[in-house]
Amino acid sequence: MSFFGKKGSCHEAPTVTNTGAKKVALVGNPNVGKSVLFNALTGAYVTVSNYPGTSVEVSRGNAVINGEEFEVIDTPGMYSILPITEEERVAREILLTERPHLVLHVLDARNLERMLPMTLQLIEAELPVVLVVNIMDEAARMGLEIDIPLLSQRLGIPVIGAATAKKVGLPEIRAAIAGSTSSAIPPFNFSRLMEGDIAEISDCLKGDYILSRKSLALLLLQGDTEVADLVQSTEGEGFGAVEAAVREKRFERRESFHLDLSMERKAIVKKVLDGAFKTPQQRVVTLAERISRLTVRPATGVPLLLIVLYFGLYQFVGVFGAGTLVDLLEGKGFEEFFNPWITEVVKSNVPWATIQELFVGEYGIITLGFRYAVGIILPIVATFFLFFSILEDSGYFPRLALLVDRLFKTMGLTGRAVIPMVLGFGCDTMATMVTRTLETVRERVIATVLLALAIPCSAQLGVIMSLLSQTPGALMVWGVCLFLIFLLVGLLAAKVLPGETPMFYMEIPPMRLPQFSNVLTKTYTRMQWYFMEILPLFILASVLLWLGKITHFFEKMIDAMTPVMASLGLPKESAVAFIFGFFRRDYGAAGLYDLQTKGLMNPRQLTVAAVTLTLFIPCVAQFLIMKKERGWNVALSIGLFVSTFAFGCGWLLNRFLLLTNLV
Amino acid sequence: MRCGFCGHEFAESEGNVGCKNCPMSSGCKMVKCPRCNYENPPEPALVKGLKKMFGKKE
Repeated sequence: MSFFGKKGSCHEAPTVTNTGAKKVALVGNPNVGKSVLFNALTGAYVTVSNYPGTSVEVSRGNAVINGEEFEVIDTPGMYSILPITEEERVAREILLTERPHLVLHVLDARNLERMLPMTLQLIEAELPVVLVVNIMDEAARMGLEIDIPLLSQRLGIPVIGAATAKKVGLPEIRAAIAGSTSSAIPPFNFSRLMEGDIAEISDCLKGDYILSRKSLALLLLQGDTEVADLVQSTEGEGFGAVEAAVREKRFERRESFHLDLSMERKAIVKKVLDGAFKTPQQRVVTLAERISRLTVRPATGVPLLLIVLYFGLYQFVGVFGAGTLVDLLEGKGFEEFFNPWITEVVKSNVPWATIQELFVGEYGIITLGFRYAVGIILPIVATFFLFFSILEDSGYFPRLALLVDRLFKTMGLTGRAVIPMVLGFGCDTMATMVTRTLETVRERVIATVLLALAIPCSAQLGVIMSLLSQTPGALMVWGVCLFLIFLLVGLLAAKVLPGETPMFYMEIPPMRLPQFSNVLTKTYTRMQWYFMEILPLFILASVLLWLGKITHFFEKMIDAMTPVMASLGLPKESAVAFIFGFFRRDYGAAGLYDLQTKGLMNPRQLTVAAVTLTLFIPCVAQFLIMKKERGWNVALSIGLFVSTFAFGCGWLLNRFLLLTNLV
Repeated sequence: MRCGFCGHEFAESEGNVGCKNCPMSSGCKMVKCPRCNYENPPEPALVKGLKKMFGKKE
């Protein structure tokens, strides 16, 4: 069903509150500052609702200028009045049915040449257009010069230069809204041939339309079915002649009409901009662009990445989050105050020792599960997500994708795999889901293996960094081990799995200074999500461990793992961390933290345990996801391979460290 | 909202939420970018409420 059909009639006005105020439609490409302008014009009185019959949201607000009220409509982003997406259809529908008193076309001064063809279309349609050339401040910083009066003269419509984010140009825009408006009269023409073809169709149109006949003729020639329906219902019997003329012209120009029209519009834009838009002889490179270049070139990008990792991950997450904050919250808050108090409360109120054990025992829901979640994991993920959100908001991740693209290609992946890898530091489970967005099955399997094996989640990473940073060299050994294993397994997987590595290309968004409110909002949301996810699992794990303890199954498991631990040179008690790790990776890391604080491990054992635990079998949730995404065979194979490989690497590392005394 | 990876601006309703295969999908509100599939945290209800109160659009 066509878009027009959804509402029954193309003339039927959508159900919107009609206050009788004159309407002002903001139109333009996405990301040109329409919403900023809308907010500046309307203030506090805004309604956001789905456009009737669609899922597209349209915002409406009131603006009072010189005592007169106007209804301002923020239309969805559109690139052309010939719609392709539902958003563009809604935007055009608003122009067609709501008869705006004024159409404010907002465009980005930096991309004037690319966006001006839509202005031409609005002028062709003879709508009451005012052009707002926005983001003039950024354009000036790039050395671009725009002659606004000349542009206005060439286009035959009012043109306003603005930087709405900085409130520049707002008085002029308000004055334009409050002033008298008139339909645009195009001061430009297409080639004689094109004009002739358009005239043959527009001459057949006799009805009354909001868009000009010329504009309608062009849309009909471009095969716009919704406009064809509109014309048919308006022309009635006369539509036959229109249809025949359109069919004839479309057949004559069947191979090149869209291209011809686009080329002619481009030529008009060039003429309009000649002398009105000047680019500097040598383009001014902004600081953001300079930093951007440095981040993607291997010679500078790799050292920059290491600096980011050192200060962001090691100093901020590892030393500050997992060290200072955990000491404060877990060491002081839980161990000294909360745990003794809650243990006393439970023991004095619950007479049964077994039930006491469930809540405040060695593996108690409160003394272990809740303490791990709040005292250890929460401060670490908070610092990690803060660091992550800063990087994310700055636009660094797509640059990282470009930087590692070459390296990843040797492993059968592309820079696109940075998305699951980066998300894996947040949570490997959701990152495994994201591997489905990679282009080939081969890439997905390789990325799944690498995630299961060598990408620690944020909490695990934080605990390990905090523990190992206390011993010189230990963190370096852990980091080098993980990096080499990541490379080795990736290279081997690419050799073993047949197939070609696909191409990778992406549009890089500009680098920007992270916005404080964005960073805080994202950090808060991620922390909330993470905490709500881990808390029930930690409680469940505590209950299972308690069950294991009272049935002595847990002790048997520890006994069964003792020879494996011994082969790695680890004490028997370290089996606890590995059993915890199977529930969740971060739970296992927190177990390691407990073992270290009890003084049960020397630096060598800690390093071996940290490497083995990082590589160790993925947690239950990740295993289930692997099974869902890749099937039982692949999931079991990966699980078996990862476990054997982890203990094999642990054994080798222990031998190596015993021989070299490196740690 | 703007995708934290590719910079694409899209409405929250356009993104994919809670992948059905994921055992944690019921609690996961992450919004996947329709262009690159990067997982973005949605705006908290509190922030949305405040924005609505002060007339700011997403």
